[in-house]
Amino acid sequence: MRYSAFYGGKVATTPKVPIRSLDDFSIWYTPGVAAVSKMIQRDVELSFEYTNRWNSIAIITDGSRVLGLGKIGPEAALPVMEGKSLIYKYLGGVDAFPLPIRVADVEKFVETVSSLEPALGGINLEDTESPKCFEILERLRGQMNIPVWHDDQQGTAGVILAAIYNSLELTEREIGETRITLLGSGAANISAVRLLGEAGADKKKMIVVDSKGILHPEREDMDQLLLRNRWKYEVALATNGGRVRGGLEEALKGADVLVAAAAPGPHLVKKREVAGMARRAIVFLLANPVPEMWPSDAIAAGAEIVATGRSDFPNQVNNSILFPAIFRGALDVRARTITDGMVIATAREIARFAKDKGLTPKRIIPTMLDWEVYPRVAATVGVKAQEEGEARKRASKLELGRHAREIIERSRKTLRILLEKRIIPPPPR
Amino acid sequence: MREHREAMEEISVREATREDVEEAANLVVRMKKLNNEFDPLFTVVDDAPERAQSYLSKSLGSKSALVLVAVKGKRVVGVLRAEVRERNFYKPTVGGNITDFYILPEHRRKALGNTMLERASKALQKLGAQVVTAEFPARNEIAVKFYSKRNFRALTNIYAESRE
Repeated sequence: MRYSAFYGGKVATTPKVPIRSLDDFSIWYTPGVAAVSKMIQRDVELSFEYTNRWNSIAIITDGSRVLGLGKIGPEAALPVMEGKSLIYKYLGGVDAFPLPIRVADVEKFVETVSSLEPALGGINLEDTESPKCFEILERLRGQMNIPVWHDDQQGTAGVILAAIYNSLELTEREIGETRITLLGSGAANISAVRLLGEAGADKKKMIVVDSKGILHPEREDMDQLLLRNRWKYEVALATNGGRVRGGLEEALKGADVLVAAAAPGPHLVKKREVAGMARRAIVFLLANPVPEMWPSDAIAAGAEIVATGRSDFPNQVNNSILFPAIFRGALDVRARTITDGMVIATAREIARFAKDKGLTPKRIIPTMLDWEVYPRVAATVGVKAQEEGEARKRASKLELGRHAREIIERSRKTLRILLEKRIIPPPPR
Repeated sequence: MREHREAMEEISVREATREDVEEAANLVVRMKKLNNEFDPLFTVVDDAPERAQSYLSKSLGSKSALVLVAVKGKRVVGVLRAEVRERNFYKPTVGGNITDFYILPEHRRKALGNTMLERASKALQKLGAQVVTAEFPARNEIAVKFYSKRNFRALTNIYAESRE
């Protein structure tokens, strides 16, 4: 609280051109800027070359479901968005503008965000409640020509997939044969079902459990879901091929993997439920700040690999590994969208990075300290965007990796210098 | 088309029998609960399952009513109830009105709805109906789309005002 007041927020804009005297404004502003504007007027794509659009995204929320805080409104969401912006800059070199908006409904949300396109290379939707977030993402992706990303959906699903890849490798499983139970049916898990399916997992072997029990096509609330949350309705139709009914205990009987992204624990998942899973079970407990069960309990119940959302336990399944890199890569090729294929390629590259460093049950995924993962993943994203025809700009993997590394290093170096020169003062004691 | 054929091979549509009543009534109740999603004046009564069974049983014994079921194996996965009504002042003078139509979610989008509707239309015609109508909550956009796609058009409106 004291630090926030001392610094007056976490991010600010900084010039990136030399201003030696006020005369320089005649170059950067009027009259010099007119020639640039005229060029862009003739070809709007040049806005990616002549302005900072190529490196700019907005972090947009309506403040309706802010991490662990709930519906706190756009103003109260601003410090959280500023924090995210800081991560984007520090780990990905991305200029991310925190932009909470006051909008009453989906229509207004979509209209407002889409109107921002001319200034931006991408949109990061954040902390917006489910199921509204599904419709917003779907509609914006459909109508915008820059990537629209909802980190709570695609980011979390991507990092779950990366962790699953290495967990399966360690426990000698094939993704298509793996039985996955997902506890929680919010943005993360609904998106995870889709992405895991795209990555080769068999949806019929997945079971989703929510507060009402196992999801299946004949559940009493199916028609409500059809009208109020068609994404969850589709998941109910596509999963649970064995038509298992009951609660988490039944859903976990013989399951290989549990992905819990439900609600803070630590007693939401019971030891006896994990004990009923298959040998060498994989258990992800992603609720923050308290996981759905303590990792020690999961291990005592027989789990071989346990991951959480927290940095003080091994295997932190954290979006921050993914989103700075995915946008770095997307921006560097001026991508029009971020596809599931690009997210899957990202997850594979993150998994490979961890594997290169040595896989163990307590190290299935890199941490935010492994900063080399970011340029490597960014390059993969850029290449995949080109393969899928979604890139405006072409570059080799080597070039993209080098470019991403330079930008990220510059970002970290700038911060280091600002600290050394005390332009950013040390925090008050 | 192939998917449709496969689905149709597994599911048959026939007139309901007494043995179907319990399961078909469950589907009717699901439909009534779905109606409640569109308007609070469709709040379902507590003994709806019993009422639905009695309603379907009576329909089975009536010459002016029709109950079709879609069956997969021994399970009822869809139900359609309709009745023939005199149209005192209008031509054509006899209409067949679909009062209840529900298919379990898993069996939707496989043309089963179409099959049941066609089958019902033919059966109602045999019962003397010269026009087929369907009633459902005004705000049920899914039903509006379903019937509009099959050349049905809005015929009457019922407006309500709660005095509770």
